[in-house]
Amino acid sequence: MSMLRTEEMTLNMGPQHPSTHGVLRFVIRTDGEVMREAIPDVGYLHRSIEKIAEKVGYHGFMPYTDRVDYVCAMFTNQAWGMACEKLAGVEVPRRGEYCRVIAAEFNRIASHLLTVGLMGMDIGAMTPFVHALREREMINDLIEELCGARLTFNYMRIGGVAWDLPPGWRDKALAYLDHLEPIVNEFNALFSYNKICIERLAKVAAIGPADAIDYNLVGPNLRAAGVNWDVRRDLPYSVYPEFDFEIPLGSGEWGAIGDAMDRYMMRIRELTQSARILRQALTQIPDGPVLAKVVRNFKPAAGECQVRVESARGDQGWYVVSDGTSYPWRVHVRTGSFAAMGMIQKLSRGLMIADLVVLIASLDVIAPEIDR
Amino acid sequence: MGAAATYFRHLREAVVSIFDGMAVSASHLIRRPYTIQYPDRMPVRVQDTLPFRYRGILDVDLEICTGCLACDRACPIDCIAIAIEKNAATREIVISQFDIDLAKCMYCGLCSEPCPTGAIHHTTEFEGADFSLESLIRRFIAEPVVAYKAKKGAEPDVAVADLLTRGMTYVDEWAQPGSDKPAAVAAAPQAAVAPVVPVPGPGK
Repeated sequence: MSMLRTEEMTLNMGPQHPSTHGVLRFVIRTDGEVMREAIPDVGYLHRSIEKIAEKVGYHGFMPYTDRVDYVCAMFTNQAWGMACEKLAGVEVPRRGEYCRVIAAEFNRIASHLLTVGLMGMDIGAMTPFVHALREREMINDLIEELCGARLTFNYMRIGGVAWDLPPGWRDKALAYLDHLEPIVNEFNALFSYNKICIERLAKVAAIGPADAIDYNLVGPNLRAAGVNWDVRRDLPYSVYPEFDFEIPLGSGEWGAIGDAMDRYMMRIRELTQSARILRQALTQIPDGPVLAKVVRNFKPAAGECQVRVESARGDQGWYVVSDGTSYPWRVHVRTGSFAAMGMIQKLSRGLMIADLVVLIASLDVIAPEIDR
Repeated sequence: MGAAATYFRHLREAVVSIFDGMAVSASHLIRRPYTIQYPDRMPVRVQDTLPFRYRGILDVDLEICTGCLACDRACPIDCIAIAIEKNAATREIVISQFDIDLAKCMYCGLCSEPCPTGAIHHTTEFEGADFSLESLIRRFIAEPVVAYKAKKGAEPDVAVADLLTRGMTYVDEWAQPGSDKPAAVAAAPQAAVAPVVPVPGPGK
């Protein structure tokens, strides 16, 4: 029997695969069910968004930033607005900043709900996905009333936001938060604390703190590895210093620190923390204008700037170089999903093929954000 | 013995947590469904239930268009094509072409933001599927028209008064740079926002 010829098999996963969250491809070298290596092949969703910025100008680029990460577009909106304001020295009115934080935190909840729902679907549980999407739909309804769109918001402008909160919206938003907190517990009973879910996710693809820093993971993935870093608290921007919130950290209570279950629970915990920020923001929001005076032909002085926001997928860095004309000379976006993709090759060694699906879902990579 | 005890403990935990989950699922049998039966069996059209700020297919009220080209300049993808001629004798602007390419339009709303009269605005219409790209180009002008010109001090023309009211309500919805006027937002027509369909809102 020892004469049986065995060989490695090369398997393609994607670019069209329901569990790759967009157009992603993995070239997998397998030995039976166990992967020797999974090599991510990115670039299928590259739309030259950074180059487009050099052609459409500062105001016109705002709707394109929605497409950088369409699951949480408010953060890219906010980052672009912050970058332009930093270049030109525009100060955003306080109510405008509050509107931004409110919209962004609602978007974070929506994005995390999608992530935890997709996690369920990727490991074969359809029900949690439907439950999570129902909650996300209610946020979409709120945001639709706020800015007229459900996905590509284009809500923010250089110098503030495009619309003030509509009348009665604050009460609806607060009512939604009251509704959300029991729903998170319900979702936990439905899925997170299910023994099968825990057994499936625990100890899968654990990332320790040293590895997470080496591979430059950001956001919830980094915090799940036990590294205490959040841009909202450590490099404060907007009006975040005025809010009282906690940064949940992964503790390895399900076996290994930074495993898929830790990364999953990180999102669930951030739901309640976002709700906590929102509750404070909605009650403290001051009166006043929401948009600073910015000329239509926006020409910041020559120079460069770097801004960072804590998006739902982590620390998002925007680097903008201006040469003093009405078009940016260069724009670069550094996104959390791209960094997470770099780690997959290392993590995949020795994992089962089915665990690759869990790994992608728990890292919460979104294809448009990888490629831009 | 220890291994067997762990095995049965896991088994019990699995069964108990499955029933926890099924209890949640079962409780949804008696809650109101959040889904709607689009497009059939709707008491009202979905379009009528959408909020006032909804960014649907663009529409232009040519009667109040001033021909200022602000929308054309604001559009980042040049999906708006306007041709104007200035009549030197009467100092009137004649618009001879106003096309919007809906196949290109990304519904960002940057065009309706600078419009002084609210002539170009988003509707709540979203069903735009068609069989050819050509038919997605909306041509608003068949023959050249004279652009609207606001008369100073005078009451607006009766023919366009309603359109102007609607247009200015639309314009007021946008945040005005630097101005502190939540009152203008409060004046927005709430009728368009109030949900008519019994959609279970949050908090139910």
